[in-house]
Formats: sequence, C-alpha cells, structure tokens
Amino acid sequence: MRGRQAAQLLALPGLLVLLGVVAFPLLYAFFLSLTRYSFLRPQYTWAGLARYREALEDPYFLHALGLTALYVALTVGLTLALGLLLAVLLHQGLPLRGFHYFAVSLPMLIAPVGVGLIWKMILHPELGILAYLFGGVDFFGDPRYALLSLALVDVWQQTSFAALVLLAGLRSLPKEPLEAARVDGATPWQAFWYVTFPLLRPVLLALLVLQTLAEVRTYDLVYVLTRGGPGSATDLVSYYIYRKAFLGLDLSGAGAMGYLLLLLTLALVALYYRFLTRG
Amino acid sequence: MAVPGSSRALRHLAHGLLWAFSLAFLLPLLWTLRSALLPEGQAYALPPVWGPWTLENFAQALGGPIGKALRNSLLVASLVVLLGLPLAAGLAYALARYRLGGEGLRFAVLATQMLPPIVLALPLFALFRLLGLAGTLQGLVLAYLAFALPFMAWLLLGFFQGLPRELEEAAYVDGASPFGVFFRIVLPLSAPGLFAAGVLGFLLSWNEFLFALLLSGRDTQTIPVVLSALITQRGVLFAQVAAGVVLSVLPVALLARLVDRYLVEGLTLGAVK
Repeated sequence: MRGRQAAQLLALPGLLVLLGVVAFPLLYAFFLSLTRYSFLRPQYTWAGLARYREALEDPYFLHALGLTALYVALTVGLTLALGLLLAVLLHQGLPLRGFHYFAVSLPMLIAPVGVGLIWKMILHPELGILAYLFGGVDFFGDPRYALLSLALVDVWQQTSFAALVLLAGLRSLPKEPLEAARVDGATPWQAFWYVTFPLLRPVLLALLVLQTLAEVRTYDLVYVLTRGGPGSATDLVSYYIYRKAFLGLDLSGAGAMGYLLLLLTLALVALYYRFLTRG
Repeated sequence: MAVPGSSRALRHLAHGLLWAFSLAFLLPLLWTLRSALLPEGQAYALPPVWGPWTLENFAQALGGPIGKALRNSLLVASLVVLLGLPLAAGLAYALARYRLGGEGLRFAVLATQMLPPIVLALPLFALFRLLGLAGTLQGLVLAYLAFALPFMAWLLLGFFQGLPRELEEAAYVDGASPFGVFFRIVLPLSAPGLFAAGVLGFLLSWNEFLFALLLSGRDTQTIPVVLSALITQRGVLFAQVAAGVVLSVLPVALLARLVDRYLVEGLTLGAVK
C-alpha cells in the first residue's frame, strides 16, 4: 500500500501537466466546436452539433480528406516498399556497411521544414539543379505534379526511418528458420518470401500504422512547399484545418473538423495499442 | 547456392541498388552544404560553379535571425527535457511497476503522442492568448511538454519494465522506502534509458514546427519557423537558407549518434526492440 501511494505521488506532477496541456485544451476545443466562436466574433454562441454537420457538408473539407487518403496511401505504400528493399540490402553484409548505414540514417533526423527547403531549392523551376538537368518542370507549381512531388519529398525522408526500423526487425529475427530453409534447398528468393517476410510481418504492421498516423499529420512540408496549392491540389487535411482557423478565422468550425480527424486517428491508435500489448 | 553465377549477379545488383539509395540520400544534403559554402550569387548559378568557397553565410546566419532562432530552439528544447524528463520518469515508473490507472492511462499516454498536432494547436493558441502565454518561450515549453512528456514516459516505461525486479525487491528487504528504491536503484540503473529519452525529447522539440509557428512571437521564434520564413518573404536566398538548414541539422545529427541504439526503439514506441 505504501508503494502504491508513492507511485501515485511520483506520477502526480506529470499527470497534472498532461491534464493542463492536453486534456483541458482538448475539452476546450470540444466545447468550442459546439459553438460559433471566431476570432472576429469571440463569443460562445451555442450551436450544438451544427458545426459537425457543416464540416461534413463542406466540399473543401471532404476534398481535403479524400486528398489526404490518396496522399497517405501513396506515401505509406512507397515508404514501406522502398524501406523494406533498403533494409534487406543493408542486412546483406555488403562492403562499406557503416558508410551506407550513416547515409541512410541522416534524412530522418532533419526537421521536415529543413527537408522541404532542401528540395525546394533543388527543384526550383528556374534556379534548381534538377530542373536545370531535366528541363524546367515546375514540380510544385504544376497542379498535375504538385501532390506527387510533395509525396516523393516526404517518401525521401520517411524511407530513411522505415529502413532503419525494418533493419532492426531483420536483425532481431531468429536465425534457425532461415538456416533450416537453406538446408532444405530454398533459393534466396524463396527463403525471403516464405521465411523472412512472414517473420517480419509484425514489424511491418506496426510500421504501417505508425506511418499512416505520421502521414495524416503532414503539415510542415505543405506549408514550406505548396501552401496547399496550386488551387487546392495539395490541400491536405491538417493544412486545411489550419487555414480554416487562421485564414478563415473560424476557430470553432476548424475545431469540429479537428475532432472528426481526431476520431479517425484514435481508431488507428487503438489498433496500434492492441498490437503493442498483444505480444 | 545452386547457381553460383546468378548469385554473384544478384550480389552486384544488390550492391548497385544500395549505392543508389545512399547517393539519393547524400547528394541532396551535399548539394545543400555546397550552396551554404558559396557566396549568395554563386549558390544558385547554373550551370553550377565550384568556388570561391566561403564561410561568410554561416557567420551572417549566426549573427542574424538564424543565430537568435538557434538560441531560442536550444533553450526551448533543453527546458522541455529538463522539466519533462523527471515528470516522465515518475509517471513511467508508476505505470510500469504499479499499473497506475490501468489500461486506460497507458492508452491515453500512447494516444497523446499520436494526436494530429493541429487538434491541440488550435485550443492552445486560443488559451495562450487568454492567459498571456502567446509569444513567450515559457508557453512554447509548456506546449511541447504535451507531446514530449508522454513520448519520454513511453520510452522509459519500456525501459523500467525491462529492469530485473529482484534488485528492487532486495532493496525493500533491506528496508528501503519506495522513494529510496526509485531514486537510488531504478534511476541510476536506467541512466542509458534516461539519456536516450532526453535526446529524443530534445530532437522532437528541436524539429517541431506547427506549435512554434502559432505560439511563438517575433522574439521567440525557433529555428524551423525562421527558416520557413526565409525563402518565402525575401525572395530566393539560397546560400542563407542552406547555411541555416546545415546549422539546424548539425546539433541533432551529432546528438542522435549517441543514442543510435535507442533511436528506432524510441521512435516506434517500443514496437521494435
């Protein structure tokens, strides 16, 4: 019993801080989302669930959600595929392993704002080195390429992280099943698909959920590279909610949209939690 | 293997692909470094020029808004770790050894790290304006605790669970109090975990952008905010931007080297050990 009381005392300061900076603001945001509060008219006029109905009928919000779904599918798919390939390559014991590991581990440490700026300079339509080498494609200014360009810059950074995670996964796998497969005459290809891949599946699944959550949050790259444009070609949901609040000055409308996004996110986190605690 | 020839070809292919990946990661970074080491006019000259090299961009960056922003970032990230780490350690120990709050609290701590930041940024912005915390470094540190504290707590939770219980039990038998066990046995044994949690908390705070954009003022902008404003408002300042990016990456790249082993474990929230 004394131990339990001590534990409560140890946890208390941290819990109080989290109540103050997470729980209370979230409750406040929920309250705001039930009103018509804007920066122009900062009054708590009761609106019930009207803001949620409006959000679900807002074509721009729905567009942003759809675009985000497409963006998430694109980036997560590419990141996992490239990350797995790269992890397997790093796991082969090829020469200069330390050097390659170093190169791969760099992008994940850079702030997304930094990543955006690096590629903004390289892909600049007039002054960028890639535009110079491959002819003046306006990667972020042309609505046909903008979303894909944004996604590829994101994948450049995320692949670095995914590869390191999957490499750690590969290194932790038991060696016996692979040796048994080799003794039975499996080709490297068969050994990978029938032994390594199934063993690696839990790590791949964890990464899938984590990357999905990370890509739903995409904001920094949009801010630096496209500001949601051209038109609304890259208006991902986190950026749209930001614009709604700070350019549209509608804090409670944006809050309602934020809560809808939060519900989607929590479903994914619940999936991840079950996954973490199953083992 | 059955066919040695094809196996060797496969190895060459693997080697080539690995180099392709490494170069795809390194070349953009080296290009940025190159731009940072050239005078502004030469940084974006096409076809590219190689020299004259200069350190002028770094001197200018450090003496101007970028230098100020680096100091702000250093202060904010350090304070987040200094304040957050002890709180996170206490919370994590209560969760690890006493299952305080049960599954619900564990889930809450995990979920807090994964919230879309915009959901929290909106009410924090409104509340900070009411409380007079908008635009202050203290406010930014508080806001960062919202994600850094649960993140560090989760990393330490895994670490504490991995400690052998016998040591703690032996200390209890010797008459130690629960606090004595926590401060004299658990914390010293967890030094590597505490260090790793601190570095990761620092890294997350250093790289954070959305909260910083909304909650900082003219004098309290952090490095991502200042960098993001360089390229949009004052036209193209390639050399300045490049120097700023290099300066912002160096500290965290060096720090991360120290916790290589824990980096992946920490960032996957323990899914990969």
